[in-house]
Amino acid sequence: MRVRHSIGTLRIDVDFELTQSWTILFGPSGSGKTTILRAITGLLQPGFANIVSYPRLVSPTKTGTTLIDSDSGICLPPHKRGMVLASQKPTLFPHMTVLQNIMFGYPGVGSLGEQEYLAELTVSIPKLFRIDHLLQRRPAELSGGEAQRVHLARATMARRIHILLLDEPFTGLDRALRDELITDLLVWQEKSRVPILSVTHDVTEALQLNAEVIKIADGRVVQQGPVAEVLAEERERLLEQLNASKGNPA
Amino acid sequence: MDFEALWLTLRLAVGTTAILLVLALPLAWWIASGRGAGRALVQAVVALPLVLPPTVLGFYLLVALGPLSAPGRLLIRVLGHPLAFSFAGLLVGSVIYSLPFAVQPLASGFAAVDSAYVEAAAGLGASPWRTFRSVVLPLTRGSLLTSAVLTFTHTVGEFGVVLMLGGNIPGATQTLSISLYDKVQEFNYAAANRTALVLVGFSLLTLIIVYWRASGRRLVLG
Repeated sequence: MRVRHSIGTLRIDVDFELTQSWTILFGPSGSGKTTILRAITGLLQPGFANIVSYPRLVSPTKTGTTLIDSDSGICLPPHKRGMVLASQKPTLFPHMTVLQNIMFGYPGVGSLGEQEYLAELTVSIPKLFRIDHLLQRRPAELSGGEAQRVHLARATMARRIHILLLDEPFTGLDRALRDELITDLLVWQEKSRVPILSVTHDVTEALQLNAEVIKIADGRVVQQGPVAEVLAEERERLLEQLNASKGNPA
Repeated sequence: MDFEALWLTLRLAVGTTAILLVLALPLAWWIASGRGAGRALVQAVVALPLVLPPTVLGFYLLVALGPLSAPGRLLIRVLGHPLAFSFAGLLVGSVIYSLPFAVQPLASGFAAVDSAYVEAAAGLGASPWRTFRSVVLPLTRGSLLTSAVLTFTHTVGEFGVVLMLGGNIPGATQTLSISLYDKVQEFNYAAANRTALVLVGFSLLTLIIVYWRASGRRLVLG
């Protein structure tokens, strides 16, 4: 994907390809990560962009769907792109139950095969994300952690999902919840084979995921590669900090 | 009690509200969610009936839709009679006169819906129509009620437009407010008082409904 866009004083110019099952867009606040996500989903019209999506990672030679190509004027609206974004804060529809919320991305079903598939999803996803006891509740009655789980579950149940985009999904959550959610998402990804692109500025989170990292700074791609390479410096710094605090008795 | 006028007034109010709800919903959504420069102009035009004297509106409708103008002549051919001094004319006048009362509560209601919900719905694959139907409308039920009630009440209370366009023909274009005016002119204060009380009582009742709903909503979301 290629995106070029200007917002205020930030000029974004990135050109990268997603080839792994889980890719992390890593960078400090203000580096343009959220803007790039929004451009991918179509919620933002970039000054220039060319984004092509391939149906499955396994067949890169198949012709993909052009989501947006500024040269030829193609621009798919957000609801047709299959780029499902789970924003940082949960945005559960307040007038629907949890069950209605997670089913929102999968409105009607056609064939019998699809009906069975949907029925199976309706059981497996709530179980996986541990929300099956919350299905009849309203969003207002959920705790922060529960809402976040429903929020992610809803995104995974979208009917047309080619890539799952996560905007700082674990920021602000306690470690236990974060570890749970990461495990849940990895299990889901095993089954669904849908690539994930997540955005974060947290080094420990990136290290934990052991995914491919695209490092962004000031709106530009600085480095792309496995996490051990790209974040080697940050990892060293982190280890130093941890050793230092261990060395000094509290 | 002038039942003829009451019945006419109710028909006018119900008809105007029904027509305006159909017209105002898409207009209000476009105003709330659109981004073009034309929005300011459209909003100004929609708000005009709020500041114009009703007689001005009635006059221009008389002229614009009368037999001297092309659209007027077309209308006469369609309806079989001129718009002026007919119930159809009153309906047209009422719709235009109450347009801001229908559109503005809806537009501000729609604008108040967090865009995060709309974006989430789009990301999950919902078309703009489905997003409007399943997410925006349910979240703005209060605005819908306010819009309907205000339109209805405003139509009941019309005078200037109705007089100019309608010509005060009992049974055809004489609404309650005009009937009241007539009775005062005839010095029939007793009858006038009865009609006036009905109008006051009705307006108060609907305002109570509007405010009760508004405060109720705040408690639920709070």
